[in-house]
Amino acid sequence: MSAHHPRGYKAASARAVLERQDMRASVTAATRNFDGNRATAWREIDADTWRDWARDVKRHALTHLGRYLEEAEARLQANGVRVHWAENAAEVHDILGRLLTRHGVRRIVKAKSMLTEELEVNRYLEGRGAQVRETDLGEYIIQLLGQPPSHIIAPAIHIGLEDCRRLFTERFGTSPDASPEALAAAARAALRADFLSADLGISGANFLAADTGTLALIENEGNIRLSTSAPRVHVALVGIEKVVPRLEDLSGFLQLTSRSATGQVIGNYVSLIHGPRRQGDPDGPEALHVVFVDNGRTRLLSDDVAWETLRCVRCGACANICPVYRQTGGHSYGFTYSGPIGAILAPGLLGLKEAMPLPFASTLCGACADVCPVRIPIPELILYWRERAVEAGLVPVAERLGMRAYATAAEHAGAFASAGALLRWVPWEAGGRALPVLGGWAGQRTPPRLSPRSFRSLWEEGIR
Amino acid sequence: MSARERVLARVRTALEERTRVPHPGPFRGTRPEPPPADPLEGFSTLFLDAGGEVVRVADEAAATAWARAFAAGFGSVAVGATVPPSLAPASRPSAPPETAELGVSMALGAVAETGSLLLHSADGRRTQLLPPTHLVVVHASSIHPTLVGALSSLRSSLPAALGLHSGPSKSADIGQVLLRGVHGPGRVVALIIEA
Repeated sequence: MSAHHPRGYKAASARAVLERQDMRASVTAATRNFDGNRATAWREIDADTWRDWARDVKRHALTHLGRYLEEAEARLQANGVRVHWAENAAEVHDILGRLLTRHGVRRIVKAKSMLTEELEVNRYLEGRGAQVRETDLGEYIIQLLGQPPSHIIAPAIHIGLEDCRRLFTERFGTSPDASPEALAAAARAALRADFLSADLGISGANFLAADTGTLALIENEGNIRLSTSAPRVHVALVGIEKVVPRLEDLSGFLQLTSRSATGQVIGNYVSLIHGPRRQGDPDGPEALHVVFVDNGRTRLLSDDVAWETLRCVRCGACANICPVYRQTGGHSYGFTYSGPIGAILAPGLLGLKEAMPLPFASTLCGACADVCPVRIPIPELILYWRERAVEAGLVPVAERLGMRAYATAAEHAGAFASAGALLRWVPWEAGGRALPVLGGWAGQRTPPRLSPRSFRSLWEEGIR
Repeated sequence: MSARERVLARVRTALEERTRVPHPGPFRGTRPEPPPADPLEGFSTLFLDAGGEVVRVADEAAATAWARAFAAGFGSVAVGATVPPSLAPASRPSAPPETAELGVSMALGAVAETGSLLLHSADGRRTQLLPPTHLVVVHASSIHPTLVGALSSLRSSLPAALGLHSGPSKSADIGQVLLRGVHGPGRVVALIIEA
């Protein structure tokens, strides 16, 4: 994990493909399973109609974002929630730091939240001397391993059963051939103690309904319900794009997100949270804070083309079906969000330069657009960022020159024919490796066997 | 300028030239095949599919008898604050949810479309989550056909936290093997009172 940054993408993905057969097997099996379940779950509904509806609600919410954020804020405050705003990770850290002091927090349990990964909240909190425990089983496993998540909804998708057994033997002394049930029981016992002793629970939010101030969270394990109710303080970090207008809108989003993510009718547990513990409630947090987080989202919103990315509901369906993600896994991307959505969120949230070369981490096969529940045109946005990268001079010089040469040749029939003829004489078997630009590519591949005659000459003679 | 004002100002600037998109209207949840007309059937089918258990009894007296007999199989019981005393299985020693073997809750209602029980925070969230087995009492008359209908009807009386429980706690995070009872209860029984 030395270079967890998009710039390491090419080397990291090559290493993943060449050296991590176990990881690829794990990721491929799990993603095929997720995608199969999604396809089945979509057949039970009028998926096209649902997706159109979800796209349009998100478009509506985003084109009226200021109004809905202010409405959500007012509603949350009326519900007894303290609302904070943060422009970037540093401001989120400051807010959390003040809350640790104000509430005397030493122990923290966390519900799975990609936004907190994006903001490196754990690193900050641990630096402040707090004990931070991830409570989603997958997040817990990767926290023990010191790794970032490799999938939006299944953070430990790259870890096989054997790796889990080794980790748990070291950590809990479970037997090296313990059943998955026994491993889960060990984690459950350890985390149960953490839930009951934590001062603060930190969560994200899948959605925030503006008109009722409802924080909506979807999960399967129960760790989010516990993280948001057992500790005496709950802080929810909410990306500003998560707001939807009405409570009733949640019904479509909760179901469509669940069907797209895991193929479930609805996540096993949905928490709809409206405020701190009320008089007479047997339990629940005494204080609830919501932090509205920008961290690059307004920059993405201001882009006339790429703003569509903000509709994303983080279901992971695009990664599950992506032929590139299935081979490389998520860590190669070097960014919190991996897979096709990561390739277009990275330039939006980090800026294009920092995100390079992620817009190129795609074959443009289009499968991601076929399964996106909110119809984000991911392949078109990948192309958009590629064009911007070329305009900004962010692609390698050799590649730019090569493309320019190709464009010139392709525009002139004679040049194209002679270039084709020339390529036919390249001694690929012997000399491919020595070629400029193409050397590295040719070195790792079986050389192509070219037809002795070009398609054009065959065409002119009339193909039989 | 505060962070709030700066973020809102950037949102306004970003949207200055953007065409406003209208809200498409309420979610209709259309399907090629209509779901069962009877909400009780619809709920039961999905709740069973998700790994839950369903017990149907005729009236409150039958529910009380069934709950007593069921609770006899557990060493200790935590009872939710909104469970009517008549339904609480008084024969078992009561325990806090942290140590109880069985938690008993009264549901606000249920949703047929998603197979979900609607649980109120006033009932006690620990009782709904900590014991390994969860028994939830629900009246058949409170099963809403759709989630959108359930949310609309609760709009004026939303609890601090509304929990939708649609089956036992699950995880596939250990080697992609599906496991039950990871943090929440591994066994959930919906006791439905039909009268």
